[in-house]
Amino acid sequence: MTINFTDIVIVAGNYGSGKTETAVNLAAACRRTGKSVAIADLDLVNPYFRTREARIPLEAMGIQVVLPDRQYLFADLPILAPAVADILRQPADVTILDAGGDDVGVTVLASLAAVLKNKPVRMLQVINAFRPFTGDVAGCLKIRKEIEASGKINITGLISNANLMDDTSVAHIYQGYDLVKQVSAHTGLPVEFITATPEIRSQLDLNRITCPVLTLDRHLLPPWKPTGAPPPSHLKLKT
Amino acid sequence: MAKAFSRPKALSTTHTHYCPGCTHGIVHRLVAEAIDDLGIQEKTVGIAPVGCAVLAYNYFDCDFQEAAHGRAPAMATGIKRVRPDLMVFTYQGDGDLASIGMGEIIHAANRGEKFTTIFINNAIYGMTGGQMAPTTMPGQRATTAPLGGTRPRPACPSAWPTCWANWSPRICHPPGRAQTPAGQQGQKKPLSRRFNIKWKTGASVLWKWFPPVPPTGA
Amino acid sequence: MAKVLMKGNEAIGEAAIRAGCKNYFAYPITPQSEVAEYLSKRLPEEGGVFLQGESEVAVGYMIFGAAGAGERVMTTSSSPGISLMSEALSYIAAAQCPAVFVNIMRGGPGLGGILPSQGDYFQATKGGGHGDYHLLVLAPDGVQEAVEMTMQAFTLAEKYRNPVMIMGDGLIGQMMEPVEFPDGLKTEPTNKDDWATNGMAHRNSKKRNLVKSLFLDPTALNDNNLALKAKYAQMKKEEVQYELVNADTDYQVLITSYGTMSRVCRTAIDMLKEEGIEVAMLRPKTLFPFPEKAVFDASGKESCQAVISIEMSMGQMVEDVERCVKGRRPVEFYGECGGDIPSPEKIIEIIKALL
Repeated sequence: MTINFTDIVIVAGNYGSGKTETAVNLAAACRRTGKSVAIADLDLVNPYFRTREARIPLEAMGIQVVLPDRQYLFADLPILAPAVADILRQPADVTILDAGGDDVGVTVLASLAAVLKNKPVRMLQVINAFRPFTGDVAGCLKIRKEIEASGKINITGLISNANLMDDTSVAHIYQGYDLVKQVSAHTGLPVEFITATPEIRSQLDLNRITCPVLTLDRHLLPPWKPTGAPPPSHLKLKT
Repeated sequence: MAKAFSRPKALSTTHTHYCPGCTHGIVHRLVAEAIDDLGIQEKTVGIAPVGCAVLAYNYFDCDFQEAAHGRAPAMATGIKRVRPDLMVFTYQGDGDLASIGMGEIIHAANRGEKFTTIFINNAIYGMTGGQMAPTTMPGQRATTAPLGGTRPRPACPSAWPTCWANWSPRICHPPGRAQTPAGQQGQKKPLSRRFNIKWKTGASVLWKWFPPVPPTGA
Repeated sequence: MAKVLMKGNEAIGEAAIRAGCKNYFAYPITPQSEVAEYLSKRLPEEGGVFLQGESEVAVGYMIFGAAGAGERVMTTSSSPGISLMSEALSYIAAAQCPAVFVNIMRGGPGLGGILPSQGDYFQATKGGGHGDYHLLVLAPDGVQEAVEMTMQAFTLAEKYRNPVMIMGDGLIGQMMEPVEFPDGLKTEPTNKDDWATNGMAHRNSKKRNLVKSLFLDPTALNDNNLALKAKYAQMKKEEVQYELVNADTDYQVLITSYGTMSRVCRTAIDMLKEEGIEVAMLRPKTLFPFPEKAVFDASGKESCQAVISIEMSMGQMVEDVERCVKGRRPVEFYGECGGDIPSPEKIIEIIKALL
């Protein structure tokens, strides 16, 4: 099973659910299938660990990365780059919007409503079962409702990004997947894919999972991880 | 024969440092009487300001905290929020409340904090020796206004409580005078009433407004 | 309890609740606002008090008032906000009230920037506010330790009736790590009836309590300062915490570093070890009291040629390190404080230059 997205994909979810890692890895995966890909950082909420930190490897793959001006990259200012509206007017094969967390983070989507109107849009809710407030179905539904009300756009699909960073085990992936399946049963929303790091993915029983698995390399790394290592394999464009 | 006059229980036996003619002692007594009337001495926490009344904690017999200059309403907020069962009041002068502590009192009022503020205005900085206050009146001399307050100051002095009252309908109570026996008696009932309301229902902040002694320097 | 994935800021908020602190007052500032956002959701669930004050100045006194009334209370802020709270910190220390302050440091001076920094070491350990006082300062190096130290902070604050500060840099607040919460603190502050303005009726006493910092009589003021000094001496005796890394080797260089910076140094030490170069690290977990004797002892190891303090500052903790090494070894410094955290490779380069 592979992810076969086109048009506009918005990655939303509760604060700290792993939207940015998911969006960046999704962009890489789509690019590897030969599609043109653009990604925009709409995270006006988070001060650190934003898409902008993955800019260099993404651009090296030929992905268009839309960020606020360089001089504002580390500003404590909610800046929405005007270029975001431009890439929505003239989308790539896949155009990914990395939204900010919670209902507050997707408020910006409402301002893009006019541009998004009548365009095919996938609006995905990322869920990490091991984050506060989304450990059960009720919590996930509450977040969904808040995001939809604030972003003025309905969620169309679910993603499980279950992880405890370096402490993640296969059991955690299954547990997160099962939660998202339950949310799916309550809402009728499809589970679009789940994520797993390469090491974990290799141990998964794929018969247990009825949706694609996105290989996820962490590259919004803390500064104590050595920088000399080559970039994760799947962030290299295969020739 | 029945005792006609005695020291209120909520007032300590310590002699005050206040100068002859100063109304702080009188207002302290009015506050203590109100506390006695309501029987809440053991549930009361007062907050002393910076200013001439900085030692107020020595003159009341109830729990007391002493704030930094202007910060009494923030302290009162902290106490009342974590211990809503206590009766909390601040006692502040015009330098403390209307100058350095303006932000704290306005925001406490706006949030509807459930404590009482006794505002004593003498239109001057007394503690530090007679410097100009925000409530110093036009023409009134001060050590930092040797020629008298000559610049136009349309909002001073009695306009402050009016501004506050207009700005937030929760701010209530008309000004009172503490200079005359009649004025003093006139303050007593409203004080008790307000303490009671604030403590039991905690509707809002109370403003007591004691206008200054008429300026003599002009 | 099972592990959860939390941001440092969220975890600090949850840790306070687990420590029995139901009262939080704060003012928003990057990069610590998530604490307030988290607690604004969680405290109402716990029947606690959440209040966003009108300024850090006011918040400092809300903390003072609540602490003076004998209730567990916490605030969080970041560098410029801590400057504004420093007045209240001086008053709270003088009046001997327990309270917990968290500083998720950003770059300074002035408005500086929002990226992580350790530029507030002097402010936290040497004063900040006026007068002879100290905070007890704890410096976590990750989310789990931030949780443990936050919980411990309440116990220490109550033991000494002194404000305790958690010093995390922006990264400690912003990064996500799996975390497990220890059992909650069960104890209530035991001595509060002796000093807190919790109401005479509440403590069933006819004696009123005063919370104040004004001592106009010179002898009384001196006595109060002596009482504070005795507490700081006791802290130095009983509360020093530090971690030694790779110190059982014949290390050539001793690094002193704390917080996020120490995590980078740890990686550098591992990488250097692979090259056959032994380097040790002393990581103070308490910045005040400072691990004076431990620094002196570790720097004295025969194999040790130099000591280097590595910080996200322009050289602050290094002054304490120099003081404690007492001239036995050369004390060097390396630091950056714009917000870019030095990489392990950079640290390796700096260490090699010392050899």
